[in-house]
Amino acid sequence: MTSVLIVDDHPSFRASARMLLEAEGYEVVGEAPDGAAALAAAGDLRPDLVLLDVNLPDLDGFAVAERLSAAPAPPAVVLVSSRSSEDFGSLVRASGARGFICKCDLSGAALSALL
Amino acid sequence: MLPLRRALTLIAAVGLIFAIGDVALILASHHQTEKAVSAVLGPIIGLSFIGTGAFAWLRRPHNRFGVLMVGVGFAWFVAGLVSANQPLLATVGAYVGPLYLVMVAQVIVSFPTGRAEGDWARVLIAAAYVDALLVRLPYFLLGGSLSEIAYVGGGLGLPEDRFAVAQRPDLAAVFQVLTSLIGVAILGGIVAVLVAKRRSSTVPQRRAQAPMLWTGLVLLATLAVTFMLDLLGAPRASQDAMAIVNLVAFAALPFAFLVGIVRTRYTRLGRVGELVERLAGVEARSSLRDALADALGDRALQLLYWRSQSETWVTIEGREVAPPEEGSGWSMTEVRAPGGEAGGNGEGVRIGAIVHDVALLDDPGLVRAVAGSAALAMENERLEAELRARVEELERSRARLLEISMFERRRLERDLHDGAQQRLVALSLQLGLARRKLQAAPDDAGTMLDAAREELLQALAELRELARGIHPAVLTDRGLGAALHVLADRTPVPVDVEQVPDERLPAPVEAAAYFVVAESLTNVARYAQASQASVRVARDDGYVAVEIQDDGVGGADLHKGTGLRGLADRLDALDGHLRIHSPPGWGTLVRADIPCASS
Repeated sequence: MTSVLIVDDHPSFRASARMLLEAEGYEVVGEAPDGAAALAAAGDLRPDLVLLDVNLPDLDGFAVAERLSAAPAPPAVVLVSSRSSEDFGSLVRASGARGFICKCDLSGAALSALL
Repeated sequence: MLPLRRALTLIAAVGLIFAIGDVALILASHHQTEKAVSAVLGPIIGLSFIGTGAFAWLRRPHNRFGVLMVGVGFAWFVAGLVSANQPLLATVGAYVGPLYLVMVAQVIVSFPTGRAEGDWARVLIAAAYVDALLVRLPYFLLGGSLSEIAYVGGGLGLPEDRFAVAQRPDLAAVFQVLTSLIGVAILGGIVAVLVAKRRSSTVPQRRAQAPMLWTGLVLLATLAVTFMLDLLGAPRASQDAMAIVNLVAFAALPFAFLVGIVRTRYTRLGRVGELVERLAGVEARSSLRDALADALGDRALQLLYWRSQSETWVTIEGREVAPPEEGSGWSMTEVRAPGGEAGGNGEGVRIGAIVHDVALLDDPGLVRAVAGSAALAMENERLEAELRARVEELERSRARLLEISMFERRRLERDLHDGAQQRLVALSLQLGLARRKLQAAPDDAGTMLDAAREELLQALAELRELARGIHPAVLTDRGLGAALHVLADRTPVPVDVEQVPDERLPAPVEAAAYFVVAESLTNVARYAQASQASVRVARDDGYVAVEIQDDGVGGADLHKGTGLRGLADRLDALDGHLRIHSPPGWGTLVRADIPCASS
């Protein structure tokens, strides 16, 4: 079972995403509300996948993705946002993330297509 | 008769008695060799100091200069005791003899304020008193000869020293030399201080001080030379010649003071006449300041113009400036319209002000006369300055409006992203989940659909709130009155909408009035701790006046926070203004005046 860390500053999204991913057969091992907490949790929990919001109150999602990808045995990072991928252009690839999913398109199928 | 005038008359009378006493001592003296000269010059010199001192005292009661001059006159008469035949009186006269010279040095250094300015000046004057009264004392105690040190036209054969406690003329001579050496050093120091003072003076200061300063410099310099000649043992004839120059300079000092006053008064007439002629000629704008600068002899003079609407001072360029502070070396004389509408106090309307060197206050008549002649020309320039200030103000408020609009767009984007957009995302995920559960677990699907509907209602409410913040529909559809009642109902504090015009106002005026009330009521709810508030909107002479009043804690400030400042800028753009009266503990009154032509 793929273990997931959900990083988003909106509790409503974290709750919905947890329900959805668990229904789709993922194991949600933790949640984090900002970049710093995300980096700490990723180190502690060693998840297979980090579902990472772009707009965080401290670091932005791209910076967090870069740091996560630079670590030894890095998790797969998928960036999410309520904005469209067109708003970010090549930033997603440059950050070392596997890909980008618009929040309203989030599903197990969309995730497994990127992994 | 005024108390000061009476007191000064009394002082002059006492001075006269001293003068008569001095003449009597001189005429009866056994050792005074130039009785006729001394009996005539002595009282003239003493009385001229007392007379001019009393005049200066009367003219500027708070300036110590007059007091010092009177003091010099009396010290001069006391020094005249040296002519007395009675040994004790003659000794006292010889001992306090140099005091009038120390005092006159203080007068010169303290001119024109009456106070020695600068540490060096004060130290030197204090040292001079110590030298004359303390360093010189042992000479008398050790039985020094009075004939050796008599300063007043006396010759030999003075009575013996009555202060003597020992007879050591040789040791006494040492103290006499020491006194003179210190005296020369002090005089040199004072001359240096005076030269430095002249260098750092402004042109008007120099003009006012010239006669006193030059006479004083001659007096102090020749006094130093006299001391040196004495120390070097120069022939008696050369010392006497120097002493005469010295005496003439000393006697001339009161007259130099009077000449200074007369000169400024005489030139005042000429200067004002010249100014009126120059102002009558059609000349370029910059020449008004130059003409006034020439008339007052102050090249650095500045003109300020009064903006009655904003109650501020501006330069001709329209730049807002603060009036000079006390102690800055600058003083401000107001220019008012001659015979303009009397504001109850008989004064004309304020036009502007001349900022000038504080030294010019010694001749307030000149500044007033110049200000009076310049009133008309300054009124024309005031309109120009007003216009420029207005343009500058509009430029500033336009820049701030742009900034505010950028800020509001960012805020709007943030609100949409964090609010409605997040709820719609959650809604989409919930619907997806519900769709999946529809067949397998219809009950779960129902619960999820309920949650989704709740999310949707929240998103709608947030969007509605946001739209209202951009422009409330009720204002467009139903006008200001209805919109203000809705605002009042939504405010947690009871709000009474007391008065609103029935007719519709122009849309920008309605919007501005609405946002003033909305922002003010938000502040009432958040900060004022008020128990009630009231709102009034009324047409008032080409304006719409909007007032919001509460009974809260007060202390609101236009310059704190962006809300009220942003409102003030919006109103500025419409040529309106915002005022806040909010004394701590007495509630807050916000008043906006928005221009609105009567229909």
